[in-house]
Amino acid sequence: MRLRRLGALAVALLIVASSLALAGCAKSGGASQTSLTVTGSTTVLPIAEVAAEDFQTANPGKRVLVAGVGSSAGIESVSNGTSDIGTSSRDLKPEEKPLGLVDTKIALDAIAVIVNPSNPVSGLTKAQVSEIFQGKIKNWKDVGGPDLEIGLVNRDEASGTREAFSKFVLGTADFDPTAAVLPGTGQVRSVVAQAAGAVGYISLGFVDSTVKALAVDGIPANEKTVADGTYPLWRYLHFFTKGDPKGLAKAYIDYILSADVQNTVVRDAGFLPITEGGK
Amino acid sequence: MQSRERMDKRITNGIALGVIWLAALATVGALGTILLYVVVNGIGQLTPAFIFGWPHGVNMDGGIWPTIQATLYVTALAMLITTPIAVLAAVYLAEYAVQGRLVSTIRFAADSLASVPSIVMGLFGLSLFVEGIGMGFSVLAAALALSFLLLPIIVRTTEESIRAVPKYIRWGSYGLGASKWQTVSRIVLPSALPRITTGVILAAGRAAGETAVVIYTMGTMINAPVSPLDPGRTMPVHLMLMAQEGINMPAAYGTALLLVLMVLGFNLTARYIGRRNRRMQG
Amino acid sequence: MTESRDPRTGEPVPDMCVDDPADAVGAPDPHSDSTLSTISKATYFKEAALRNLFLLCACVAVAGVGLIFLFVGLKGWPIFAKVGIWQFLTGAKWYPTKEFFGILPLIVNSLLAMVGALVLGAPLAIGTAVFLSEVASPKLRELVRPAVELLAGIPSVVYGFFGLVLLRPIIARLFGGLGFGLFTVWLILAVMILPTIAALTEDALRSVPEGIREASYAMGATKWQTIWRVLLPAAKIGIIDAIILGMGRAIGETMAVVMVAGNARVIPDGIFKPFLTLTTVIVMDMPYASGDHRTALFGVAIILFIISMAFVAAIRVISRFGKEMS
Repeated sequence: MRLRRLGALAVALLIVASSLALAGCAKSGGASQTSLTVTGSTTVLPIAEVAAEDFQTANPGKRVLVAGVGSSAGIESVSNGTSDIGTSSRDLKPEEKPLGLVDTKIALDAIAVIVNPSNPVSGLTKAQVSEIFQGKIKNWKDVGGPDLEIGLVNRDEASGTREAFSKFVLGTADFDPTAAVLPGTGQVRSVVAQAAGAVGYISLGFVDSTVKALAVDGIPANEKTVADGTYPLWRYLHFFTKGDPKGLAKAYIDYILSADVQNTVVRDAGFLPITEGGK
Repeated sequence: MQSRERMDKRITNGIALGVIWLAALATVGALGTILLYVVVNGIGQLTPAFIFGWPHGVNMDGGIWPTIQATLYVTALAMLITTPIAVLAAVYLAEYAVQGRLVSTIRFAADSLASVPSIVMGLFGLSLFVEGIGMGFSVLAAALALSFLLLPIIVRTTEESIRAVPKYIRWGSYGLGASKWQTVSRIVLPSALPRITTGVILAAGRAAGETAVVIYTMGTMINAPVSPLDPGRTMPVHLMLMAQEGINMPAAYGTALLLVLMVLGFNLTARYIGRRNRRMQG
Repeated sequence: MTESRDPRTGEPVPDMCVDDPADAVGAPDPHSDSTLSTISKATYFKEAALRNLFLLCACVAVAGVGLIFLFVGLKGWPIFAKVGIWQFLTGAKWYPTKEFFGILPLIVNSLLAMVGALVLGAPLAIGTAVFLSEVASPKLRELVRPAVELLAGIPSVVYGFFGLVLLRPIIARLFGGLGFGLFTVWLILAVMILPTIAALTEDALRSVPEGIREASYAMGATKWQTIWRVLLPAAKIGIIDAIILGMGRAIGETMAVVMVAGNARVIPDGIFKPFLTLTTVIVMDMPYASGDHRTALFGVAIILFIISMAFVAAIRVISRFGKEMS
């Protein structure tokens, strides 16, 4: 008999759980007549997802479905019509140019090389950065700093930031395999902030007072140098559409380009807004 | 000389006992440090908005309600699936089994399951339930994978509970002409029930804290699962992702504290049931 | 098997001759000439059916092990076929994006992590167990034992989180470097395997008969001499079992390790340098691995499973050996 009571309790728990779920379910959107499919880069994903959520709240009845599969997959799916917008963290390759895609740049991604604030080094050449991250330079004294071992901090291989950094700085060379591999921007930042000899790289938008961003090839890393293109480590984030954007796609893209979204969602994700008259 | 030997003996004894005290102190100290750290840093997050709100924004500001629901749901489902099978298996091992190769194999298998690294169980769940059977990332897939992990634990505690029932109680039952199943179901199991319940609740605590198994079977999508085929993100998974991203540390601390409180809750409930039972029997 | 005790007096209730009285009130005996049976045929079949149902439930465990071999092992098999099991296990380079699938550095790193955790954790655990079993007053016992059980209940991700946010910065400040590495992992793992080893050691110590202790004290031994020369050797088998179980837990731990190890796919050249293990490689690489890389990760998983089964087998062998000796 007590067994039966336990069974009833279990069922009751399930009912309670489900009803709480339905109560919390109020946030999810309902059915819609117009829907938009957005696929592509995992780097752009945070912007696309959050903007989609807010866009749906502001435009009830419209659905925006976002997925992160990779820049190449995104470009391919928008060119063959599987999705309405293809997001990408890279430019079109030469063989992709004739596909008839129209590029709308929606944000700037700049990568800053960061060190501990106590590190007197304030700038490096791109070659030096490359050699440090390949493990060829192992001590700060070899680049004009104190006699301190370099603590190399790398990102995980799934990271878009790592991919971009590798392309900008290393070219075809490999990262030092003995570097620590950390799975998140915030971790890289806090590790560098707390270890005197550490060096790592994060999106410029996430640099705060706990770390110091180095100048690369003499150019300091800040919004102005990124906007005028002098800082070497940057790239655009793209939304590609087949032909000019129109209809719901245009509304969504305009929404993302609006000052409000640019200054909140884009910055929250660690990127920089596309400024008026920027390159 | 005798008195010097006695003194040496006493000095060694004193030092050794001192070391033993230190060991115990270090253990309690470790627990205290971890709990204190989590509580102090997370207590500020325990607002109704955090517990019942939803996360929004790129960095998951807001609340963690969907993760709480996902955790409770998958734990409840896993316990529902495992407990009947585990209890009946334990009944077999404790009451019916004859020592032999079959029982030996079963015990070896149970011990092996108990010591499987949870990430291996996670890949297993991914391979069989998510992809093989095609459930996709779902509460059900996670619950099934978890139930393999919990099975040996519940079998062990249930078997011990059943064996702890004194033999003469059964003999009284058999003496009255009852069959084996009547004895087991009406006398032995009810008598062992409090200890079985303790074991089940402790196992639930383990299930709630699992990360590696759940991440590959339930996914990482923020969702408040309703049907067992819905995906979701549980609290331990959320904690791991927040800690790894490192941007929203307050949310991480809050999740850690809530998780520890949940597990503590399971632990204390189990202990309370156990103590009540002992008091009643004593 | 534990003896049953009278719940009122605590005295052991002796085993009677009939092992299972249920057999005495059992099925109709086909070999007997008597037509008298104590229960009906219907009840007999119902009993048999129930017994088989329970047997089926018990065999779920065996099915589980088989399924794991099937769905993890088979999924990982292609990499063994491609690279060769020997090359996979002894290859010194793990660089899947360049087709290097050697997990030797991972095996070595997992072993290094495990040994250090044991060296730190086992003495602490055994000391705590001795404390609980021999030194503590009942009131203290009520305080410390729940503490050990609570330590066992803390989820591994919370341990990892704690290691990441509190331990790592402290170690970085004290010893230089980034704070990741073997040393940090040893500290965290030691605390994690402590409750496992302590609980089993305490059980082993408690099952040493009280008479042995009394004899030792009667001969004038101090408490420590009794513990060191009499009790611990007597509980040797149980303690070894506990340690092996702790080893299994240490080598299989993922979440706590991945947050404090640093995850560099080499054998570290210092205890404060980042490293990757058999378990953390899976959790780091799975999010983006595809094709051979993914297969290789399943291969690593089945190796992990075999290692943990080996530990279980070792415990059984040692227990049997110990029982034969006594």
